[in-house]
Amino acid sequence: MADIGKYLKLTGLMMKNCLVREMQFKANFLVRLFTESMWLVMQFIYISVMYGQTGQIAGWTIWEMVVLAGTNHVIAQLFEALFYDNCMRLIDQIRQGDLDFNLIKPVNTQFLVSLRYTDYASIVNSSIGVGIILFALGKLGIGITFGGVVLFAALVANSILIYYSILFILSVWTFWIGRSNNLMELYWQFGQFSRYPGEIYPWLLRRLLQTLIPMLIVSNVPAGLLIHKLQTGLIFYGFALGIVFLVLTAWIWQRGLQRYRSASS
Amino acid sequence: MPNATLVSKSPLHKYWVILSTRTQEDMTYRFNYVFGAIFRFLPLVTMIFLWYAVYMGRNMAPINGMTFKDMIVYNALMYIARGFSSVPGTMSDISKDIKDGLLNRYLIKPMDYFGYQVMYRLAHKLVFWYIALLTFPFVFWFMSASGHYFTHWPTLWEALAFVVSLVIAFCIGIQFCFMIGCLAFWFLEISTFLFVVMMLEFFMSGQLIPLNILPQSLHHFLFYSPFSYEGYWPCMILMGKVPQDQLLPVLGRGVLWIGAFYGAVQLMWRMGLKRYSAVGG
Repeated sequence: MADIGKYLKLTGLMMKNCLVREMQFKANFLVRLFTESMWLVMQFIYISVMYGQTGQIAGWTIWEMVVLAGTNHVIAQLFEALFYDNCMRLIDQIRQGDLDFNLIKPVNTQFLVSLRYTDYASIVNSSIGVGIILFALGKLGIGITFGGVVLFAALVANSILIYYSILFILSVWTFWIGRSNNLMELYWQFGQFSRYPGEIYPWLLRRLLQTLIPMLIVSNVPAGLLIHKLQTGLIFYGFALGIVFLVLTAWIWQRGLQRYRSASS
Repeated sequence: MPNATLVSKSPLHKYWVILSTRTQEDMTYRFNYVFGAIFRFLPLVTMIFLWYAVYMGRNMAPINGMTFKDMIVYNALMYIARGFSSVPGTMSDISKDIKDGLLNRYLIKPMDYFGYQVMYRLAHKLVFWYIALLTFPFVFWFMSASGHYFTHWPTLWEALAFVVSLVIAFCIGIQFCFMIGCLAFWFLEISTFLFVVMMLEFFMSGQLIPLNILPQSLHHFLFYSPFSYEGYWPCMILMGKVPQDQLLPVLGRGVLWIGAFYGAVQLMWRMGLKRYSAVGG
């Protein structure tokens, strides 16, 4: 139990350290807010053009689609805030032998390398997503309950962990293949699949996106909960999947470490 | 023949050397490209099913003359068009050269900076297409075999116009990057601006949505913008969506835009060099 306290304290310290650094570049927040909003505007143009042609896409109305886009934005931004940079740095650390500095510290190394840096601008950005969700829910006339919010938050956290697991596993491949920057591209390409309703995909592809590459679980389940378009079973399945993926990261990380060759000297 | 390389054969020979060196450099990382070449098509998968759902919602009725198959072919051909018009990294590299004073080392050489940049990027494109020729046909064959998407066989004129339009796409794409990159002479920090510009380019070139299904007031304007040559026109020409008597006017306007961009780049370069402070010495 003392361990959990120690790790929580450590997380707090690392986040505080990053906040201090970030505060030196306050304008950066505004710039990032602006650029991410541009992305969202593009997405909404796309959505509105499609819905200009038909009232429903695979049974989803436009505001339901907007809830999905907002949810996806919140999850992607929070994931990028906590883990994206760290996974990128991990690749270089493995390749250049810089992992040594982390290995000698008396804490779990996977914890340390995964959470070392926090990108606060992305956290600020995720709030736009929350605004979009609330606005779209208002348009749909759907109210929110306290229990619903808690469950939604838990599902979002679970989705972030699944995202993290996928990217972490991709990064850790560096132990085997020496350079995996290109694999990172996969993260952005996979991300495509989470933007739209699972109903558009044919059976086989849909099952694939719910199991091996669970991009549909990541976005569709939390969004589905909000707009009452979800089978309860999927909630349990989602959490179970999150746990499986997380355990998998720890296992692969240990296997990978055995192949670590340290610095080139 | 050790002297052979020292004797300059023609004033253009140096650009040939840049091209071949850069090509070799890029080929070193060819697996980088192979990997990218395969996975870059993943978004097309989503696109097919998404648009299928949209068309199903309207009983497969065409949208402004675009059938479902047209929509997919358009998105697939966009990969070819962008393979010519997009020159990633050019804007930021040029602005960095200017900002950090790295331009000095090019200015003292007896060559044109933009000539160098063109060769550098051309080499990159050559390697891209070397790899793409291995992967693109497979993707197009698969699309054809699985869904018979390609319903139009281009005429000789359309094929020729398509090739010309790709050259125009490259010329406009790279010169636009030069123009934006040159802004670094006047402004110190332009990365946010670059982002906005790239977004607009993404939209106005028809990559996001085919320009002809946008609201009419908008697409009449966008048809005449230089960006439409970076994606929209090459695709539409090969799909046979541009009437034959329109081919020449469309391509002609593209050539005019190249001329206008060329003039603008030269002007910006001359004015910019006067302000250039060559920081870093």
